[in-house]
Amino acid sequence: MSDDIESQMRAALRAVAPREEFSQKLVANVTSRQPPARQSRRGAARLHPLAWWFSASLAASVMLAVGVHQHLQQQRLQQSGLEARREVMEALRVTSQKLNLAYEAVRSQSTSLTDEGNSV
Amino acid sequence: MRKCISLLLFALLTPALALAAPNPKLAIPSFSALAQKATESVTITLDPGLLGLAAKFLDSSDPQDAATKEVLKGLQGIYVRSYTFDKDSAYQQADIDAVRSQLAAPGWNRLVETHSRKTHADVDIYIMLDHNQAIGLALIASEPRQFTIVNIVGAIDLDKLHKLEGQFGVPKLDIDPSKAQAPPK
Repeated sequence: MSDDIESQMRAALRAVAPREEFSQKLVANVTSRQPPARQSRRGAARLHPLAWWFSASLAASVMLAVGVHQHLQQQRLQQSGLEARREVMEALRVTSQKLNLAYEAVRSQSTSLTDEGNSV
Repeated sequence: MRKCISLLLFALLTPALALAAPNPKLAIPSFSALAQKATESVTITLDPGLLGLAAKFLDSSDPQDAATKEVLKGLQGIYVRSYTFDKDSAYQQADIDAVRSQLAAPGWNRLVETHSRKTHADVDIYIMLDHNQAIGLALIASEPRQFTIVNIVGAIDLDKLHKLEGQFGVPKLDIDPSKAQAPPK
């Protein structure tokens, strides 16, 4: 009895070669799931979001640095310009002060000469 | 052959002519010893670049700025040294003479020489003329407690300088460049 069951089970569980359609379907399925070469690169990019962030932040940093540099340069130029303007004003003030001194001396001299002329 | 001689003469004479050309820029000493003794000092050195920059920062709509801008046109430099001391005779006559001697060079003409008995101030104004156009101005003012040197280089329009009258306190001196005298040698 037991021998009978055993032989039945052996017969049921014996290795059977797959059908031709099965192999074909399996190969077709695997091929359709495999991504093309370009897709694989996109996939790689998707796989490294940090790289994208790194590039974006690097570009932003460069732009910020250029902006700050230009702003500082503009600020320096403005400071130099205002300083030069102040110096021009100061130079003209000193010059005018001394011209005034000469003018006063010339005027007092001519006044005294006129007074002497009147007294004579 | 003639061409060669002409070229040789030209090459030899060009530096000589350049040296002979009047230079209105004075070699002002550093006066570092005076600056240390002074209670107040003004050192202004404005070369063509700085003058151009300053002109850009002058507002043409403002009358004083507009007049200053007009004066600056054609100028190549403004150099001012002024030292104020807290006691009389703090500087030597030799300090002034170092600059005054340069004004004996050809091209410089003394325009005004004043001495005030009241303030004991001496002011000498020199002008350098080139084809009846002032190309340089030098002013030396020596007072008991103050010593000032002003050197303006470039095409100075005295009429424009007169226009500053009242704005910086510039007086109308009735300066006539044609009456300028060559300094005694």
